[in-house]
Amino acid sequence: MSAPAPVLVPARYRVVKIRLADPAAAAAYLSLVFGVLLVCLPVSFPHMIVKSWENGRLVPAMIFLAALLNGLIYLRAAHLRSAKPGLLTSAWLGALTVGIVVGFSFLLDAAILHEQSKLIPNSQALVNEEIVAHTYWGLISGIFLPYLVIRFTQNLNFRAQAD
Amino acid sequence: MGAALDNSIFTADWASAKWIWWLGLYLILGIFVPWTMTRTWAHQHGSKIRPTLRQLFQRGELGLAALVLAISVMWDLQNSQYAPQTLAVGSVILALSGIMAGAVWIEGHCRHSAGVEIDPKRVWRDSRNLAFLILSIAGVAEILLDRFTKAMRP
Repeated sequence: MSAPAPVLVPARYRVVKIRLADPAAAAAYLSLVFGVLLVCLPVSFPHMIVKSWENGRLVPAMIFLAALLNGLIYLRAAHLRSAKPGLLTSAWLGALTVGIVVGFSFLLDAAILHEQSKLIPNSQALVNEEIVAHTYWGLISGIFLPYLVIRFTQNLNFRAQAD
Repeated sequence: MGAALDNSIFTADWASAKWIWWLGLYLILGIFVPWTMTRTWAHQHGSKIRPTLRQLFQRGELGLAALVLAISVMWDLQNSQYAPQTLAVGSVILALSGIMAGAVWIEGHCRHSAGVEIDPKRVWRDSRNLAFLILSIAGVAEILLDRFTKAMRP
């Protein structure tokens, strides 16, 4: 007697459920590295950031770094939960990362205009500090905020499915 | 910036590291002292309980401590001379991460009260990672504030 034919059931993959602990740890380590660089290289590290901004390379570099880290965090979460990364979530994650970092660059422009309007002798030093601060906040937000939005979106979806 | 670059470029700014002491106070008073108090209580009452940090903060209480730290850094940011955009950005990120850290404790408390299944490992991991994030952000935010205050001086 031959063995019964296997039933062709379409494979169902679990969705990668995002938990904020995943990006939080990565953002914390990035923040730690940023802080150590600021303390150990107080002149050259900020100078490098300011020069990159002047050359127009800062925002693309931030987008690259944030997107790379977010991709790694997402893949690691998928691996840990034995789930398949979804195309839609990946695209949403990428779009959010780019949107947040670009949005921060507009805020930085506004902050620079604000510092220049103070008309004080050392306004250039203040502008440089604004650039360094915005780079830091932009990187942390570029990693943490997309996952926060995805977490809320997933919560709403799961609730809608449960209803 | 040019004038500043004339100085030695690779000199570490150890004055910025004073914030490690400030963060250490939070760690000592918020984490180490409560843990020591449990040991003292056990000793006084002749109990054999020896809770670890993980057991002591297993319901996400670390998230609540992180929220308090986030509030204090937000207050420092608000009192600084940064541009309003920078203040808003920093405060919003600190507030969001603080709220999410506090939410870990809230969720743990609600689940426990409602008798819903709770995973202590997950609660501990979430609260620990979010508290680590806020601690790290707090340190860098204070270093940035220190630098800005120095740059403000003519």
